[in-house]
Amino acid sequence: MGKKNKRPVYLNLFKIRLPVTGVVSIVHRATGALLVLLLPGALYLLQRSLQDPEAFARIANVAAALPGRLVWLLIVWVFAQHFFSGVRHLLLDVDIGIERTQAQRGAWFTFIGAAVVVLLAGVCL
Amino acid sequence: MRVRATGSAHSGVLEWLVQRVSSLYMAFFVFYLVWHFSTVPAPTHAAWKMWFAQGAVRIAWALFILSVLLHAWVGLRSIYMDYLHPLWLRFSVTLLTVFGLVALALWAVQILWGANL
Repeated sequence: MGKKNKRPVYLNLFKIRLPVTGVVSIVHRATGALLVLLLPGALYLLQRSLQDPEAFARIANVAAALPGRLVWLLIVWVFAQHFFSGVRHLLLDVDIGIERTQAQRGAWFTFIGAAVVVLLAGVCL
Repeated sequence: MRVRATGSAHSGVLEWLVQRVSSLYMAFFVFYLVWHFSTVPAPTHAAWKMWFAQGAVRIAWALFILSVLLHAWVGLRSIYMDYLHPLWLRFSVTLLTVFGLVALALWAVQILWGANL
């Protein structure tokens, strides 16, 4: 950028209104990155649960207690949100919901779908 | 649908395809998991181990973990390309990521086909 260009750079993140489609986009990235960070822990749990019955029982107990259930539901939400925004991606690939109002509606559906999955998981587990 | 030009390296199409195919396998596998666990009343260690003793189950899990790692690779790659601008930083983080993901893949092989099972 040359010195002549004195246009103000206005990047107040609290004043920029990101459309819902943009929110879904960044949430898809954030949840994806979070899920990657969970991978080593997930593999560790898989290994321990298969290794010996005591470790299996310990993991089952922690998962069944209230803090464990809350963490589990949080992970379910992160996964479900990434899942639904991913499905939206696949549908956009085949030109379904690509028109603006439909794209916005689809973006809202990903949040609603993830919330429904978390509610179902909370009731069933 | 027209495939856009991908620049001189002609890269990107394979990553795009890997991301889609892996997502489909993961989606089907997760539905299978939900179905499986909804039919098993209370999971016990014995039942858990017996399930994994089946070769097909282990291969299905291995394909799932492979899909997860490939999917993670393509996803992280696009995040890095967008947010890590200095070349040395992007290169180092990419290198670390590749080693990390390959290590996770080898660990998964150890878990699924290790002597402890």
